[in-house]
Amino acid sequence: MTPFRAAPAGYVARWDAVEREVLARVARDVSELLRAESGIGPDLELSDGVAFTGVARVPHDPAVQRLLPDAHRDDPDVAAEFRHLTQTDLAARKAARLEAFAQALDPQGGTGTDEVLVERQDAEDFAGALTDVRLVLAERLALEDDDDVTALHDEVVAGLVDPDDDGPDDDHPDDDHPDDGGPDDGVDAGPGELGDGGFVLAPDERRYWGGVFVAAGFAQESLMDELLADLRAGR
Amino acid sequence: MTATVTQQQTQELTQEEADARVADPWVTIVWNDPVNLMSYVSYVFESYFGYPQAKAERLMLQVHHDGRAVVSTGPRERMEVDVQAMHSYGLWATMRSSGDPDGGAA
Repeated sequence: MTPFRAAPAGYVARWDAVEREVLARVARDVSELLRAESGIGPDLELSDGVAFTGVARVPHDPAVQRLLPDAHRDDPDVAAEFRHLTQTDLAARKAARLEAFAQALDPQGGTGTDEVLVERQDAEDFAGALTDVRLVLAERLALEDDDDVTALHDEVVAGLVDPDDDGPDDDHPDDDHPDDGGPDDGVDAGPGELGDGGFVLAPDERRYWGGVFVAAGFAQESLMDELLADLRAGR
Repeated sequence: MTATVTQQQTQELTQEEADARVADPWVTIVWNDPVNLMSYVSYVFESYFGYPQAKAERLMLQVHHDGRAVVSTGPRERMEVDVQAMHSYGLWATMRSSGDPDGGAA
């Protein structure tokens, strides 16, 4: 994975096939979590209008709660009213943004290139999707404060975590779950299941998702540097 | 409030509420979290609110070091728009009346 750099066509980085596939899969998992928790179907478009009348209950999954948080800390009535008015719309927009992110990284039929091109008009949505992915991973990794994040980064930098690690499933090839037939050249892209939260990750899962979290942060940091430079330069 | 309120009284009360909101604005507060990047938070404050770089960075550092910062002030309806925008960006934001205890502090 190389940092994003500004180019005439947008912001460009190089991610290898495993990096693209893993981040696309996590983004699709997060999108599914959002849709399931907010009661919106996979085909619902904002323009349908139905999105604005959906049920707006507090999400059960703590990671989804972080994506759709209470808008008032002390007044449950204000928080509930806000949720009723905005949650379905917000969840649908986040899900669509995550799916566009995944599609850009891992389109049907593959890309045939390692280049990730984020056009300028899509860059804010791409960064937002990366944020939502990182927020959900952080909840699963129980990263509660800056020290937790620093410690995880140190683990990764120390080589305890290989971001290209194919994941814990590698140690247990399972013929009961045949490959989905995707154009992945036989690469196993890891455990794949983001889980439902509320449990402690096994050490190999922590290493795997920790590597993904750090890689996503690296990508977003370099993208934000370029976006901020362009914003401040009035581009 | 009783059920015998007249239409005129209702309108007067509504006007009082509106006056109260002008005199007692709400605030949008962004809270620190260990995930969002300092550059991303600065970008959101500059891009969404249109704040100059110096103000955006001061607010970002206030969030980072103090745990929170008031990032906008205004009528409740306006703060609802700002909070929803912050949630869309993935920032952890809440709103409250500035008349509430601790409402304007940060």
